[in-house]
Amino acid sequence: MRLRLNFWTIVAILTWGLLAVLLFEPVGSVLITSLFDKDGNFTLANYGTFFSQWRFAQSFFNTLVVGFGALAGALVLGCTMAFCVSRFTIAGSRFLSLLSILALVSPPFIGAYSWIVLFGAGGVVRGALRDFGINMPPIYGLGGILMVFALKFYPYVYLMVSGALGNVNRSLEEAAEGLGLTPWQRVFKISLPMVFPAISASALLVFVLAIADFGTPRLLGRGYSVLATEAFAAYSAEIGSNFSMGTTISVVLIFVSLVFVALQRYMSRRNVYHGNLINKPTRIRLKGWRNVLAHVVVYAIGLCGAMPVIVSVYYSFRKTNGPVFQDGFALQSYERILFNLADVVTNSLTFSLVAVLLIVAAGTIVGVLVARRTSLNTSLLDAAFMIPYVMPGIVIGIAYIAAFNTGPVVLTGTAAIIILSIFIRRLPYTVRTTATALRQIAPSLEEAAVSLGYSPFRSFLKITVPLIVPGIIAGGMLSFVTAINELSSSLVLYVGSTMTMPVRIYLLVLDGDFGTAAAMSSILLLLSGLAVYIAFRFMGRNEQALL
Amino acid sequence: MAYLEIKGATKSFGNFTALNGVDVSVERGEFFTLLGPSGCGKTTLLRAIAGFNDLTSGDITVDGADLRRVPPHQRDIGMVFQDYAVFPHLSVFDNVAFGLKPRKVPAAEIRTRVAAALAAVHLEKLADRLPAAMSGGQQQRIGLARAMVINPRLLLMDEPLSNLDAKLRIELREEIRDIQKQVGIATIYVTHDQEEALAISDRICVMSAGHIEQIGTPQQIYGNPQTRFVAEFVGTLNRLAPGAATDTLVAGLGVKNAALWAIRPERLALAAPGEAGVAGTVTRYTYLGREAHVHVETAVGNLAVQVANPGMAAVSAVGDAVTLRLDPASLLAFDADGKRIGAEP
Ligand SMILES: Nc1ncnc2c1ncn2[C@@H]1O[C@H](COP(=O)(O)OP(=O)(O)OP(=O)(O)O)[C@@H](O)[C@H]1O
Ligand SMILES: [Mg+2]
Repeated sequence: MRLRLNFWTIVAILTWGLLAVLLFEPVGSVLITSLFDKDGNFTLANYGTFFSQWRFAQSFFNTLVVGFGALAGALVLGCTMAFCVSRFTIAGSRFLSLLSILALVSPPFIGAYSWIVLFGAGGVVRGALRDFGINMPPIYGLGGILMVFALKFYPYVYLMVSGALGNVNRSLEEAAEGLGLTPWQRVFKISLPMVFPAISASALLVFVLAIADFGTPRLLGRGYSVLATEAFAAYSAEIGSNFSMGTTISVVLIFVSLVFVALQRYMSRRNVYHGNLINKPTRIRLKGWRNVLAHVVVYAIGLCGAMPVIVSVYYSFRKTNGPVFQDGFALQSYERILFNLADVVTNSLTFSLVAVLLIVAAGTIVGVLVARRTSLNTSLLDAAFMIPYVMPGIVIGIAYIAAFNTGPVVLTGTAAIIILSIFIRRLPYTVRTTATALRQIAPSLEEAAVSLGYSPFRSFLKITVPLIVPGIIAGGMLSFVTAINELSSSLVLYVGSTMTMPVRIYLLVLDGDFGTAAAMSSILLLLSGLAVYIAFRFMGRNEQALL
Repeated sequence: MAYLEIKGATKSFGNFTALNGVDVSVERGEFFTLLGPSGCGKTTLLRAIAGFNDLTSGDITVDGADLRRVPPHQRDIGMVFQDYAVFPHLSVFDNVAFGLKPRKVPAAEIRTRVAAALAAVHLEKLADRLPAAMSGGQQQRIGLARAMVINPRLLLMDEPLSNLDAKLRIELREEIRDIQKQVGIATIYVTHDQEEALAISDRICVMSAGHIEQIGTPQQIYGNPQTRFVAEFVGTLNRLAPGAATDTLVAGLGVKNAALWAIRPERLALAAPGEAGVAGTVTRYTYLGREAHVHVETAVGNLAVQVANPGMAAVSAVGDAVTLRLDPASLLAFDADGKRIGAEP
C-alpha cells in the first residue's frame, strides 16, 4: 500500500514537471516576451501598438468575423444534415458519414487549395462556367475563407447534433403531438431545446478551430488577415530578434480562444439530457419531391465537404509537366515524392509515431492518476490539461521558439521540438479518454478480483487494463491522425531537415506545384484513413470519437 | 467464541458516523442477514469485513484471528456484488476459475471444481460464452459460483438480488439458500427487503442509523420485536391512537409507562355478528386475492385488519359498520424510547 502511494506521488510530481517544462514555461515565455522590449525592460508598448495600429485592430475584427462566419456556416450545413439524417430515411447514410469523416480528417489548407483549383482566378469550374457566359468572382477573400470553413467544420456540428438528436426520446415528441402541437412547433418547442446544448457546444468548437486555423486564411485570404496569419507574419519578420509583436498577437489570440473554450466547456457540461433509449426516434420515409430534396441537400453537403479530397486524389494522378497539368493520367507526382521527398514522408511518420507512443504511455498513466487518485491535486491537473485546448497551434509553435531558443535546453531545429509540440497538444485528449474509460469501469470489478485473491495492482493489470486497452489503441490511432496532419505549430518549428508532410504540402501549394501537393495530400489521407479504420476496428464505428 | 466476531465496529466518514459500535457474531455455516433501511450502514459493515474500507475502530476476528491486519486480497472472503461485477472480457468458465489461479490449484482440479460450481448454479451449458449479453439472473449466478468455488472462509453478499425482477428474486434466493446449506459456508447477506430476509436467514440483524436494533431468528424478529423500529420495519403495525378509549382497552394489562400501543393487522379479525369487540366503520377495502385488507375507523384509531382467504361473500363496503375482534394480549407496548415493554427476552 505504501509503495503504491509513493508510485502515484512520483507520477503526480513527474506530470507536474512535464507540464511545467512543456506547457507553463513556453506559455509563460510568450506572455513575458510580449511584456518586455528589446532591451529587456518591462513595457506595455506592444499591447499599445496592437490596440492602436489599424492593421492589428482590423485583423482582430477579421478573426471574430471569420470565427462567427464559420460558426454560422457550419451550423447551417451541420444541423441540416443532422436533422435530415436522423429524422428521414436517407439512402446510403453510412456513405454520407464516410464523406463527413473525409472532410474531418483532410488538412484544411488542402481544402482551400482545392477550391482555388475549382473556383480560383484560373479555376476549372469557373472557366467552364465562363464558357456558358456565367461570370462568377474568384473565391478569394472572406467569402472563400468562410465557404471552406463551413464545409470543413460542418462535420463537428453534424456529428454532435445528430448524436443528441438520436438521444431525444420519441415519447417526448409523441407526447407533444398528443398535446396538439404542429410538426413545426414540435421541432421548435421539443427537439430544438433538447439538442440546444449540443448545437451550442459544437458551434463554439467550430469558432475555436476556425480562429486557430492558419492555412486557409493564408492561402485564400489574399490580404484578408486574421490574428493567426498576423502572428505568423510577425514571427517570420522578426525571426532572430525578440519577436515581441508575434507573442503579443499570440496572447490576444489565446485570450479570444480562452473565452470561447470556456463557453464551450460550459455548454457541453449542460449537455445532459439522456433519454432512456427505450423509445428510440424512428426515421420517416419521405415521399415525392420532399424525398428528392432531402437527398439532394444532404448529398450536396457531403460531397462538397469531401470535394477537396476528391479533387486532390484526382489531381494526384494527373499527368504533369513541371507544375503544369497535362491531359491524361500518370504517376509522376507520386514518383517525385518517392525520389525527392521520401524523407518528408519518413519524417512525418516517425514524428507522429514517436509522438503517439509518448502520448499513449504518458496519457494512460496520467489518466489513471486523474481517475483513481481524486484529490485537489488531480483536479488542478485536470484544469491544467485544459490549457493546450485553448492554444492555437501557431501559438504553441511561437511559444516553443520563445522557450527553447535559448537557455538551458536549446531544442530549436530538432525533431524533438516538433514531437514535443504535438505531444503536449494531444496529451490532454488521451488523459481525458483514459480517465473517462476508467470511470466507466465499475469499481466492483477490481474489488471482485481483490476478494478472489489478487493484489490491488494485479487486479488492475488483469481486469482494468484489458478493458481499457482497446480504447487506448483507438485513441492512439486518432491521435496519430491529428499528429500527422498538424501544420501550424510545425510550420513555425521546422527546419529543412525536419520538414513534415503538411509543411511540405503548404510550401508546394505556395509554389504552385499542385500535382505534387495533391499526391502528398493523398498519401496523408491514406495514412489518416488507415488510422481511423484501425481505431474503428478497436472500438466499433464511432464517428463521435473523432471530435 | 463465535466463528466471526465483530466487536465495537465504528466507522466515521469525516464527522458522519456510519457505524456506531456494532457487535455481531456469526456461527460456522450460518446464514446471517443484515437488514435495514437505506443508509443504515449495511454496506459499510460488509465492506469493512471484506477489507475494502477499514473500520475507524473495533475488532473483527475470524476463527480467533484478527482480520483487520490481513490485506483484503489475503482475507479469503468470497463476495457477491449487487451489480454482479462479472468480468466482461472473460468467459463464464474463466470468470469462475479466476479466483482459483492465485491459489495455485492444478489445472485439472480447476476444471472439475469450476464444472461443479457451474452445475450448482445451473450454468454448465454456458461455460464458454462471454457474459456480456447474459441476463441479470445468469450474471448473478456467475458471481455466486465465482465466489463459492474458492471455498472462502466467509461469503458476503450485498443486495445480490436487488437488480432482478420479483419472480427471479424469489427463485434465486431459494437457490442461494440451498447452495449455502450444501456447502456450509458462513454467509452474511445484506438486504433491505424484509420478506427476503425472513425467507432465507438463520438469523437476522436489524440495523438502523449505524447501530443494531435487534439480532434474532426470523421468528423472533417478526414475532417478538424488541423495539418499535423493528416492529415497524419488519411487517406492518397498527398504532393505537392515544386517548381514553385506548386506556380503557389496555387497562387490564397492568403495563405502565407505555408511550405507544400497537397491533399487527393479522392479530385483528372481523367479529361475527353479535360478538363483543371494538366497533368501527370500514373506510377502505383492498382485495388482494389471497388476503384482503380492511381499514376500519374505530375509537382507538384507524386499524388495518388482514383477512385471510376472503371468500366471495366476505366483501365489506366502505361505510359498513363492523366489529373487530381484538385480544388485548396481542397488543405490543413501547416506551418513550421505542423499547418494547414486556417483551420476551
Ligand atoms: N465513502 C463514504 N463517504 C462518506 N459517507 C459515506 C461513504 N460511504 C457511505 N457513506 C455514508 O454512510 C452511510 C451508510 O452507508 P451504507 O452504504 O453502508 O448504507 P447501506 O445500509 O448499505 O444503504 P443501501 O441500502 O442504500 O445500500 C450512508 O449515510 C452513506 O451516505
Ligand atoms: Mg448498500
